[in-house]
Amino acid sequence: MTIELQRPVDGQIVFDDPENLSFRVDRRAYTDDDVAAQEITKIFDRCWLYVGHESEVPELGSYVSRDVGGRPVVMARGSDGVIRVLANSCPHRGALICSQSTGQARSFRCPYHDWTFSNQGDLVGVPLPDGYGPGFRKSDFGLARHRSDSYRGFVFATFDPEQPLTLTEHLAGATEYLDLIADQSEVGMEVIQGAQLHGARANWKLMMENSVDIYHFRALHKRYVSYIESLGTMAPRRRGGFARALGRGHGANELVPAAARPLAYWTPMFPPEVRSRMEATAARFVERFGAERAQRITGANRALMIFPNLMIIDAIGITIRKIDPVSAGQMSITSVALAPQDEDPDIRELRKSHYLTFLGPAGFATPDDIEIIESCQRGYLNRTLRHSDLSRGMAKEVPETTDELPAREFWRQWDRLMHDDDREEGHHLTRRAERQGGQRR
Amino acid sequence: MTTDTMNTEPAVDETAQMRLWHRVSQFLFREARLLDEWRLREWYDEMLTDDIRYLVPATDVRGEPADALGLIDDNAARLRQRIEQILNGEVWCENPRSRTNRMISNVEIVADRGTHLDVAANVVVYRFGHGRSDCYVGKFRLELAVEGESFRVRRRLVVLDHESLYEHGKLSIIL
Repeated sequence: MTIELQRPVDGQIVFDDPENLSFRVDRRAYTDDDVAAQEITKIFDRCWLYVGHESEVPELGSYVSRDVGGRPVVMARGSDGVIRVLANSCPHRGALICSQSTGQARSFRCPYHDWTFSNQGDLVGVPLPDGYGPGFRKSDFGLARHRSDSYRGFVFATFDPEQPLTLTEHLAGATEYLDLIADQSEVGMEVIQGAQLHGARANWKLMMENSVDIYHFRALHKRYVSYIESLGTMAPRRRGGFARALGRGHGANELVPAAARPLAYWTPMFPPEVRSRMEATAARFVERFGAERAQRITGANRALMIFPNLMIIDAIGITIRKIDPVSAGQMSITSVALAPQDEDPDIRELRKSHYLTFLGPAGFATPDDIEIIESCQRGYLNRTLRHSDLSRGMAKEVPETTDELPAREFWRQWDRLMHDDDREEGHHLTRRAERQGGQRR
Repeated sequence: MTTDTMNTEPAVDETAQMRLWHRVSQFLFREARLLDEWRLREWYDEMLTDDIRYLVPATDVRGEPADALGLIDDNAARLRQRIEQILNGEVWCENPRSRTNRMISNVEIVADRGTHLDVAANVVVYRFGHGRSDCYVGKFRLELAVEGESFRVRRRLVVLDHESLYEHGKLSIIL
C-alpha cells in the first residue's frame, strides 16, 4: 500500500484552538514517512521509554532481551542485584550478544568472536588478546549501559544522555496511577508468563489514542458488552468517572467497572464461591488505605497512557501494552498481564481466563480495536479529508471518560517534542485550565 | 505431553489400525470443511463434547506451562459465544466473512486409550479478507472422545509455530 501524499510536512500538524473549542490533527501525522522518521529522533531517541517490569528478572543473572524504541537491549539483573539496561550489540563488531528472549546467565558471549561480558555489562574475556596493542583496555569495551531507572517496579530507560528529566519528573502525574496499580499487592506485582505479541497495519499513535478512548466502548465493543451481560453483569450505560491530563503527555481515565475485577470486585460473572474472599480482600484494602483510596484501588477501572508508547489498562485484568512504531503504517504490540504475586491460585486462573475474553489478539474486544485502527489508516488514503477531530470535552470544566482530553494531552506533548520546544517551561503552564480538567471532585 | 509410541499390542490387526486412522483423518477433514464453510453451529453441535476446551497458547512460550497466559482458553459456553459473535456479524474483522482454507496433515494417533484417542496433526490455515492474506501454521493436539464409529473433540489445543502474530495482528477465526 503506497501513500502518494508527499507534501513536505513542514507546516502545522496539531491545531489546538481552545478559544473555538477545536482540536484537530493533520492526518499526515499518521501516514507520512518523514514524520515517522522524525518521531524516532525527536521522541524515541530522547524520551524515557518503558523497558519491562522488575518481576521479569527475578533472580541474580535473570535477563530479558527486547527492542525498546527500535533498539535491541537486554534488561539484566546483574550478579550484584542491580537491574541494568544494556545495549544488545557487541562493541567489537555489532552482533547481538544475546539471542534468547529470556533466561539466566552469569555472562553473555558474542557468538561472532567469543567476546564475553559479565551480566553487569563488563567485558571479561577476549580470545587472542595479544592481537591488540598495548593501549587496548577491556574497560573501554563494555556493553553500552543505557541510563535507566524504575518506578514501583516499572523499568524505563532513555537513550538521551542529555535528558534533563529524572524518571519521576518525566512520569509527572502518572505516578499517582502507577501507585494505584503497584499498591494492589503488599508483596509486589508480577508479570504473568506468556506475552501476547502482535501488531497492526496502522500508525502506532492510533493504538495509543484507542487505548485511552472510552467513547468507542459501547459502539465498537458491542459483542463484549453482550458477552458480559450474558454472564449476568450489566455494564452501566453511562460509565461516569473522569478523564485527566497528567502532564508531559500522559493521561488517564478512571471509571466504574463494566465487569468484575479479579483483585476484589465481584460480579456474577465470577463464581459465587470466591465472593466472600474477594469481599474480605476489599475490606483489607480499606484497613490498609482508608475507604476512599481502597475504593479507588479495588473498585475502579483505569486506563493509563504514559507518553510516548506505554498503556497500562487496569480492568478485567491488568495489561501492560507496549506499542512500537515500525513504519508510518505499521506497529508492533507487546502485551503482558500483571497480577499480585500473592494471588490465590484459583483467582489467578479466573484472572487469566477473563483477561482473554477482552484482551489480546483473539479476545472479544482487541481484534476489533486492531481492525478499526487499520480501517482508519486505510481511510486516510482519502486525502480530501485532511484532519481528525479530537475536541470532545473541550468545553467541559470536568471532562468525562468519553471525552478526548488524554489524547489531547498526548498530542500537545508530541507537538512540543517534534518542535524541540519541550524544554521551555512556559509551555507546561499554558492551558492550565484544561490540563487540570477532571480533577476529582 | 503424551508419549510417541502407540499403545498397542503386537497382535492387533493392522487393518483395524488403518481403519481407525482413516476414520480419525476423515473426522478432522470434515471438521476443517465445516469451519471453512462457516458452518460453525453444526461444528459445535455435532463435533464437540459438552466439556470441550479450546486452547491456543501464547507464541512466546514452549510446551504448555500451566501458569502461563495464552491467547485463547474457551470452555463450551465461551466458544459458543465466539461462534455466535462471528455468525451475527458482530466481529468487524469477519464481516464480511473472510475466506479460509484449512490444510490438515501428518495425522497421527498418538495413543488409543479405548474411550478416547490422543491425536496429533499439523494444520495450516490460510485466511483472505479485508485486503489481507494471513497464514496460521500450527500443531493440533487433540483429545477425541470415541462415540461408536465416530468421535467428538474434548480438548482442542492449537500450538502456533509463529514467533508472534505481528503480521496477522489478530486471530479472529477459529483455527
